[in-house]
Amino acid sequence: MIKKQLLEELLGIAVSTGADFAEVFAEQERSNQIRLLDRRIESVRDFLLSGVGIRAFVGTKTYYASTSDTTREGLLKCAAAVAGAIGDATVAGKVTGLVNEPVQSQRVKHLPDDVPTARKAEILREASDAAVQLDEKISQVQGTYMDVDRRFLVANTEGLYREDRKIRTRLAINAVASNGGENQSGFYGPGGGVGIEFFEKVSPREAGERAARQALTNLSAVYCPAGVMTVAIENGFGGVIFHEACGHSLEATSVGIGASQMAGKLGQQIANPKVTAIDDGTIDGGWGSFAIDDEGNPAQRNVLIEKGVLKNYMVDRLGSRRMGMPMTGNSRRENYTYEPTSRMTNTFIDNGPDKNEDIIASIEYGLYAKAMGGGSVNPLTGEFNFSVKEGYLVRNGKICEPVRGASLIGTGAQILQDIDMVGQNLATGQGVCGSSSGSVPTDVGQPLIRVSKITVGGRS
Amino acid sequence: MNFNEIKELLFGEAEKAGLTEYDVYFRMASDVGAEALNRELSSCSFGTKGGVSFRCTVNGRLGTAASQCLEKEAVKALVSRAVANAAIIDADEEPIFFAGSGEGAYRAVTAKTAVLPDAAELRHAVLTLQEQLYSESELMTDGTSTAAGAATTEVCLANSKGLCLTHKAGMCYTYAEAIVNDGKEPSFGTAMAPTLSTDVGLSQKATAEALARLGAGAVKTGSYDVIFSARQVRSLLSAFAGIFSGKNALLGLSLLAGKEGEKVAADCLTLVDDPFYTENTMQMPFDGEGVATKEKNLIENGVLKTLLYDLTYAKKAGKEPTGNAARGIADPVSISPYCLRIAPGEYTEEALLQKLGNGIYINELKGLHAGADAVTGDFSIESAGFLVENGKCTRPVHSFTVAGNFFELLKAVDGVASNVEMSLPAASCTAAPDLLVRGLSVAGE
Repeated sequence: MIKKQLLEELLGIAVSTGADFAEVFAEQERSNQIRLLDRRIESVRDFLLSGVGIRAFVGTKTYYASTSDTTREGLLKCAAAVAGAIGDATVAGKVTGLVNEPVQSQRVKHLPDDVPTARKAEILREASDAAVQLDEKISQVQGTYMDVDRRFLVANTEGLYREDRKIRTRLAINAVASNGGENQSGFYGPGGGVGIEFFEKVSPREAGERAARQALTNLSAVYCPAGVMTVAIENGFGGVIFHEACGHSLEATSVGIGASQMAGKLGQQIANPKVTAIDDGTIDGGWGSFAIDDEGNPAQRNVLIEKGVLKNYMVDRLGSRRMGMPMTGNSRRENYTYEPTSRMTNTFIDNGPDKNEDIIASIEYGLYAKAMGGGSVNPLTGEFNFSVKEGYLVRNGKICEPVRGASLIGTGAQILQDIDMVGQNLATGQGVCGSSSGSVPTDVGQPLIRVSKITVGGRS
Repeated sequence: MNFNEIKELLFGEAEKAGLTEYDVYFRMASDVGAEALNRELSSCSFGTKGGVSFRCTVNGRLGTAASQCLEKEAVKALVSRAVANAAIIDADEEPIFFAGSGEGAYRAVTAKTAVLPDAAELRHAVLTLQEQLYSESELMTDGTSTAAGAATTEVCLANSKGLCLTHKAGMCYTYAEAIVNDGKEPSFGTAMAPTLSTDVGLSQKATAEALARLGAGAVKTGSYDVIFSARQVRSLLSAFAGIFSGKNALLGLSLLAGKEGEKVAADCLTLVDDPFYTENTMQMPFDGEGVATKEKNLIENGVLKTLLYDLTYAKKAGKEPTGNAARGIADPVSISPYCLRIAPGEYTEEALLQKLGNGIYINELKGLHAGADAVTGDFSIESAGFLVENGKCTRPVHSFTVAGNFFELLKAVDGVASNVEMSLPAASCTAAPDLLVRGLSVAGE
C-alpha cells in the first residue's frame, strides 16, 4: 500500500514538531451493495474507498489529518498538516525503525471479487421471494446484499508495522405488511466476518420469511401499554440492551474523560451476580471480529463483568494514556477519515443459571420482547433507550397477544441490578454501532433474560 | 487528477466502450476542526476527501461505479465496472440523463463560500469557550467540551448530453457542551452556532440548559399535551423526512401516497423545502441529476401540495421533477429535501407555554434512529424536558417516553411559535420553531 521508507518519512514529519508518538493508517476498501426493491434489483453500489490518516500525540492531545490523495505529495502534505498544527518545537520525537510483523488474517473460502455479482443477486432474490410468498399482505420488500473487502496497514513510531485484510458479508431484509390504510414493517439482517460461504449456514429464504413474519405480526398487533413492568428480552439482537445500557459506558472514550457513570467502579459489584458480560473480538467469523484493531493491536477476549463485578474497560491508545491502563484491542474506526477510539466488537451477556421456560413462567404480567431494534445511550448519565421490533404481552406465565410501538428506557446502573434471571440460549445478532469514530459492525448477544422492572414506552 | 482530467478520461473510455449515455459526478471536500476538553485542547483535525462516480446506460439499464482513488487506472476502471454492474439490474425504470434546466434556470447562490480557518484560530475559539463555560458555573465538571470547525465542498457534474455544472459551498460551526454536577448527579446542556464564534452567549446557553436539568424527576404515565422545542421538532422532521419522498409513496412506503391536494396537517402548519434558505450557507442550485432546484411548499396551511421527485420517479408518477435527486460519491441517487423548514407561527415561546397551560415541554429526544418508523409513522422515544403547570415550566423531568404517530401528530398541532432555529448548515438540513401538540402518550412512573 505504502512503502516502508515513505511510512518512516511520514512518521518522522509527524513528530518533527514535538509530538511524542505518531501513527500512519492506510486503507483500501472495496465494497458492494446490491439493492432490491419491489422484487427487482434496483441498484449496485460499487465503491472503492481509499485514503490515509496520520495521527500524532502530545501527551493526551491528538492531532489528526486524513486524505484520499495517496500520492507521495498528498501524503507529505497530510503529515505536514499534523506537524504544523502541533507548533514549532525544535525537539523532534523519536521514530523507531519499522519491522513488518505478519498478521494471521482471517481465512475466508471466497473473496467477494471472486464471486459473480449475479450469484449475489440470486441470494437477494431468494430472500425477497420468500418474504413476498409468505402472505399476500406483504406489500413491499427492500433488501440489501452487502460485502466488504477491507485492507489496511498501521505503522507507528514505536516500530509497529502490521497489515490485515478483513472480509464481511451481510444480508438485510425489510418487509412491509399492509392492510390498506396501515403499514407495519419487519426486519432481519444476518451477517458475518466471512465471505459468501456465510449462506451455507444462513438460509436467505428463512431470512426473508423471518422479516415478513415480523411485519405480519405487527400488523395484527395492538399498541403496547405504557408503564413500568417486568420484561423478558429474547436472545440474539436482544443483547443490544447490554450494548446500550452498559457497553458504551465501559468504553475509554467516555471513561477516560470522566464522562461515564462507570468511571472509577472497577472491582465493584455493579450488576446482579447472574450477569457475566464479555467483549470478544477474536470469535472466528464474528461480525465484529478482526485479527488486529485499527491501532494494530491483536483482538482480545475481555471479560467486562464477571458475576456482577466490573473487571475491565475497553481501552484504546489514547484511553490508555488517559487512564493509565493497558490497551485491550478495541480501537476501531469506520474508515481513515476518523480518528480511532475505543469501541465494542462482539459483546454479549454469557449464559446464566436459569431455564428459559422458568423465565416466562415467572412473569405474572409483563412484556416478552422477542426482537429488538436499535437504541442509544448517554454514557454520562447512563440513560438509554431502545425499540422493541416484535413484542408480546405475558399474562400468568404465558406469552399472549402481540403488541407494537414499544420502547424500553432506563439507566444502565439500575438495569444491571434488575436483570434478575439469565437463561441459557446465548445467541448473537448483528448491528452497526455509531459513535465518534463512525459506524462499525458490532455483534450483540445474550440468552433470554428477565428484567424485573423497566419503563415500557407505549401508547395505551 | 482534477475534475477536467477525470471527465476527459472517463468520456473517452465511455466512447471507446460504445456508450452513448453517461455522466460523471465529482466531489472534493475539505474540513478542519478542533476540540477542547477539561480546559485543554484535546484534538485538532484536517481532512481532504475526493471522489468520483460514473453512471451509464447499458441496454436500458443503469450501471454505476465509484472511487475515492483518483489515480488514472482506478478512474479508468470505473467504466468497465459500471458496465458489468448494469448487467444484473432488472428494475424497469429507463435511466434518464438530463440535458439541463436551461439558461437562467439555475439560481445564483447568495451564501458566501467559507474560507477554512487555520489551527490557531480554531484553538483560540475552543479554548476561549472552555474558559467561558468554567466561569459560568462552579458546578462545571469533567467532560465539558467545546468544538469548532469548518468545511468546504466542491461538486461537478457533467454528462453526455452536454451538461456541465459546478458549485462550491462551505460551512462553519462552533459547539459547546456543558457538563455540571451538583454532587448528586451530572447533567448536560448544549449549544451551537453556524459561525466560528467566541460569543459568550453560546456558553451561557449551554450552561443554563445543563443547570436547568439538574434534579430532574419522574413524570406520571398518561396522556399529555406537549410542546416540542425547536431543536426537537427538527429531529422529528429529520426522522420522518422520508415520508415526503415521491419514490417511497409510489412504492407503498409512505402513507402520504395519493394525498397530494388533501388535508394532512393542522391549518397552522406550513412546511417548506428550501434549497436557498438564507441561514443555510450550503445552498444548492442544482441536484444530483442536474435539475435546477427551487423552493416549494410541501404542506401549505395543512394541505399537502407536493411530494419530492427526482427525474425517474417524477416520470413514473406523472409529475414534474422537483430537483430533489440527492447524490453522493458512493451511493445511488436518492430523493432528499434540502432545508426542510416549518414556517414561523404567531406565538412567542412564552405565549405558546400559556396556550399549553398544563403539559410537558420536551427539549430532548433520544434514539430517533430506532424509536421512529417512517413507514408506519409510529414513534416511541426517550425524552426529557420540563413539567408545565399554568403556562410555566415548574420542574425538570426525564426518563420518560413520548409516543404517538407522526401522521396523527401533524394533525394534532395546535400552535406554532415564531422562534425558527436551523440545524448546522448542510446540503440537507432542517429549520423549525417550537410546536404545541395535543394528546400524546407519555410513559413514566
